[in-house]
Amino acid sequence: MAEFKLDCMHETCPIPLLKAVKALKKMELGDVLIMLTDHNCSISNVIEWVEKQGHKMDYMEIGQGEWEIYIEKARK
Amino acid sequence: MRGIETLFRKTWPYWIAGIILALINIALMAYISSPWRVTSVFLYWGTWMLDRIGIHGVADSYVRVYGNSLDINEAVVIVYLTIVNIGVVLGAVLSTLVSSDFKFKKIKNKKQLLYGIAGGVMMGYGARIALGCNIGAYFSAIPSFSLHGWVFGLFMFVGTWIGCKLLYKNMI
Repeated sequence: MAEFKLDCMHETCPIPLLKAVKALKKMELGDVLIMLTDHNCSISNVIEWVEKQGHKMDYMEIGQGEWEIYIEKARK
Repeated sequence: MRGIETLFRKTWPYWIAGIILALINIALMAYISSPWRVTSVFLYWGTWMLDRIGIHGVADSYVRVYGNSLDINEAVVIVYLTIVNIGVVLGAVLSTLVSSDFKFKKIKNKKQLLYGIAGGVMMGYGARIALGCNIGAYFSAIPSFSLHGWVFGLFMFVGTWIGCKLLYKNMI
């Protein structure tokens, strides 16, 4: 149950999503990835991809226009 | 208020945006007898500025050969393309404001800045030697039944593919 942080601040589509895809590949089942982003498109495209892949996720707005996305790897 | 909020907060499907763009392009075509172009005006602005500081004739042959010159009464500042470009920027600002997505973006690091400038220069130069950007030489060319739009489109996808590979290798 390791925790990984991914800083995607000031980066635009599709970099945050690609970074998340790459990070999730290296993780074990049950590991959690915490993404930090200020790009609102990331919210929609990362969430869409994560749900399609069958992982668990949640997100929270931690500041004005800044979000943390939590992704738990639920499938290989 | 709720209806307005869902209308502007949610992302619109691509096909709706496509139809709206097509309708606006038809209206523009009917009004100014020329389809939508974006980058030609940067050439006018650039040569106009160089002219002001005493550097003449830099793009003369380019302008003459490819028929990009302005008509005698078309002042560079009020040429319709300038107005259309200002409209594009104002429209984009308006749409981020009504969806309350407006935010100043910071530069992450020097690498991002360098890639941005390099990409911008390559796109600008490429658009001029291709005689149009993805709007003038692609979006407006294909509905005009011009073959060059399809050729441009094919190589645009090749360029995008190379760009994606470079992005994945160097930025991720």
